[in-house]
Amino acid sequence: MSGAALGRRLPRWARILLLLAPALTVIGVFFVAGIGQAVAQSLGHQPFLPGSRLSFDAYRSLGQDPAVRASLLLSLRVALLSTAVATVLGVAVALLLRRTGRSRRWLSSVLQGNLAVPHVVAALCMLLLLAQGGLLSRVGHAFGWTSRPADFPALTGDGFGWGIIMAYVWKETPFLVMITLAALSGGVEQLENAARTLGAGPVRRLVSVTLPLIAPPVAAGSLLVFAFAFGSYEVPYLLGRPYPATLPVVAYQYYRDTDLALRPQAMAVAVLITTLSVLLVAGYLALVRRLSRRAL
Amino acid sequence: MTGRGTVRRGVLSVAAAMAVLPLVPLLVWSISGQWRYPGLVPQQWSDRGLRLLTDPGSQVVQGLTTSAVIAVTVAVLACCIGLPAGRAIGVYRFRGRTLVRFLLLAPVIVPGLAVTLGIQVFFVRYGLSDTVTGVVLVHLLPTVPYAAVLLGAAFANLDLDYERQARMLGAGPIRTLLFVTVPLLRSALITAALFTFLISWSEYVLTLLIGGGQVRTLPLLLFAAIGSSDTTAAAALGLLVVGLPLLLVAVSARLLSTAAPTTIGLGRL
Amino acid sequence: MNDSTGATVELRRVSRRFGEVTAVETVDLSLRPGAMTALLGPSGCGKSTTLALIAGLQAPDSGDVHIDGAAMTTVPAERRPVAMVFQKPLLFPHLDVAGNVGFGLRMRRLPRREIRARVDAALAQMQLSGLAHRRVGQLSGGQEQRVALARALVLQPRVLLLDEPFSQLDAGLRAEMRGLVRQLQARTRITTLFVTHDQAEAVDVADDIVLMLDGRIAGHGPPPLFYSNPPSLDAARFFGVTNELPGRVSHGIWRSPDGALRVPCALPDGPAILTVRPEALHLAGPGDDPGEEDPPLTVTGTVASARFAGTHLAVRVQLSGDRTVTAHTPVGTPVPVGGKVRLSMAPDACTVFAAARA
Repeated sequence: MSGAALGRRLPRWARILLLLAPALTVIGVFFVAGIGQAVAQSLGHQPFLPGSRLSFDAYRSLGQDPAVRASLLLSLRVALLSTAVATVLGVAVALLLRRTGRSRRWLSSVLQGNLAVPHVVAALCMLLLLAQGGLLSRVGHAFGWTSRPADFPALTGDGFGWGIIMAYVWKETPFLVMITLAALSGGVEQLENAARTLGAGPVRRLVSVTLPLIAPPVAAGSLLVFAFAFGSYEVPYLLGRPYPATLPVVAYQYYRDTDLALRPQAMAVAVLITTLSVLLVAGYLALVRRLSRRAL
Repeated sequence: MTGRGTVRRGVLSVAAAMAVLPLVPLLVWSISGQWRYPGLVPQQWSDRGLRLLTDPGSQVVQGLTTSAVIAVTVAVLACCIGLPAGRAIGVYRFRGRTLVRFLLLAPVIVPGLAVTLGIQVFFVRYGLSDTVTGVVLVHLLPTVPYAAVLLGAAFANLDLDYERQARMLGAGPIRTLLFVTVPLLRSALITAALFTFLISWSEYVLTLLIGGGQVRTLPLLLFAAIGSSDTTAAAALGLLVVGLPLLLVAVSARLLSTAAPTTIGLGRL
Repeated sequence: MNDSTGATVELRRVSRRFGEVTAVETVDLSLRPGAMTALLGPSGCGKSTTLALIAGLQAPDSGDVHIDGAAMTTVPAERRPVAMVFQKPLLFPHLDVAGNVGFGLRMRRLPRREIRARVDAALAQMQLSGLAHRRVGQLSGGQEQRVALARALVLQPRVLLLDEPFSQLDAGLRAEMRGLVRQLQARTRITTLFVTHDQAEAVDVADDIVLMLDGRIAGHGPPPLFYSNPPSLDAARFFGVTNELPGRVSHGIWRSPDGALRVPCALPDGPAILTVRPEALHLAGPGDDPGEEDPPLTVTGTVASARFAGTHLAVRVQLSGDRTVTAHTPVGTPVPVGGKVRLSMAPDACTVFAAARA
């Protein structure tokens, strides 16, 4: 019997399982097993090595490590600020952009190009622009505001993370513009017109019609931005300081340390990143859902 | 009214300028010979940076090849894996579908590095560490979910009666897939291929972790160049790394503007 | 066609369930070879499922489909000698008109030249010759469905299945397309099954009608049968009988306060319903004498309303006991609204059914 006829005889559940098998294998091996291994190894399990002893030592030492506390603070600050700024800017630009006919296409393509810029390149661009010897600093000198590179505020390699935040804002704002524009195209204008016939002025329309309507997709988008800014490695590595570094940078440093005793701690940081990103995302989503319901 | 329109246009022009501005020093640096502080323009122009990119003996050409081979392989694999998964979640309603959708979305949210650290030893153990194969495999983690979710949305909008019609015209399952389903999903497939390619092309830390510095893709070379003092070389390399994505997005701009979920993918490059 | 005899299509005790719902319940059906049969029924009666079972797009839970005497159980849809046109045109948007029409021939791996010749012939047959290289999106609704028909017929199938193919077209175009299909079928003598929920369409297009109700065959025969001698009360109702007079049958005679009628002796004694079509009711004044030896059955009542309905007047008459009947009379007949009338009906226009067991 041909494969065709055979395929038809398969029960439904088997067909679905077969379709999902390759993707679930990838996710099972790299994602589920990856998290499982990170948890196990953070507790002292050592694959392929005898005599591993399970303990919470790694977590205990993380709790006492001031560097980790500083990293956590930095990671959260960077992620929160870049998400907030990118969201506000993105929504604002999209709201302005949607009514302009010709220039919309033009600016959209500029923003789309921006989306495609790899984060490594974005970090390099920020270095060349914002560093104390960078283009902005030189402009400052040309206007006579500064006389030496050191007079220019340290925006890269700084303790606060300004450069990291700016790189994320530059990269993620266009993403949120696109998301907002897509959300605005789905019949929002008719509802705004309906609100207008009911006597709502421009501010009322924006606050009680437009924003609640676009809130869910925009929330989903900014949540992706947050998770990315919290967990990515390249930008904070290139634009931040070795100390305090963001959590992913710390995790990689610990993992690559010649002292293998630091590995459980590297895994513990990885588990911390995973847990926090999932928790923050869940809490944030719940909050936004409640906010948008109240406004409606 | 015209006054408000002018303000709006002004704000948007500033936005456009802000979007483009950071690329300016990159461009200028790549063709500068000497550009000391506080000069606003280079003291000396040079094509040294650009020559570096085309020198067949340099690492750059090798890196370009490695990057391209990996990214193309990843895009093809991710689409081949994502297509059936997309069919399952887009067409069927089954118990556990919510769990599957969660599993497909989770790798998008949870940082790849945190997930991959724990299995690096297995790559070493099974001889996949420091190999192109290992890097391709680890790149599937951030790409397969995108391909599956995007193609899932496409399958949900597909009228399966087209496939039944093809069967009635004598096409078996394989030829129905090749001659009907794939052409009908063409734009979603191109989009999925495009941005899984771009995700792989831009990936740094997973390549570093599994490739161990032996598999030198362009982002790895760029990292090394940024660390060195040769800004011109770094800028030229940066131009190469950003050039191909910009080109691809420009070519497929019409396609991208129609597919909103695409932007979700591009946000993660 | 290469042979003059059409294919036989038989369903033998075929059932198909979807979870709890039985869509097709032990159906036995044999289509007249070379004829156009309409499969008629309300939506959800199982007619589309029946079509899918014949096409092979679904497998029966039990029973067999036989085409030309061969069991189709293990034959996948793509290898059955069956072509199907769906409700939607389903033209492949990535192919032009000629590419669509030639799709099935390419699947059969015919030589390119033969494909082109047969596609050209099929397009000419459908008056689509100028459109061969038109993009599918540029066609009108009628053209789209003609291309879909050409795509099916170019394969010279033994059996042609049409699943409400014109239901998305407007009325004028639908009649025109029906005429085209009837003419093509008459020429090719392909055994054809035409699914529709519209009894007027079924009567207009088909040699035979299969009436399907609740997953079962409720009647099978030439269209006039369903008017002159409907096989069941449900069938009569589906074909537009609106007048039902309850009564009782005993010893082969139906009786009610209105009169009596001899009925086929097959009918068992008990409660029974006499049905009569509105156009078979004749209006007479209360005093008019039928003046015949064997008087037709008559009822009397009060005219409740008379409504102009284009070709006739629809007169509603209130009978005793809260019953109403509708009669169709020629336009121009004087109708005394509010007045008494007598309605007569020819015995052979009436059909009596045993009342449904409560």
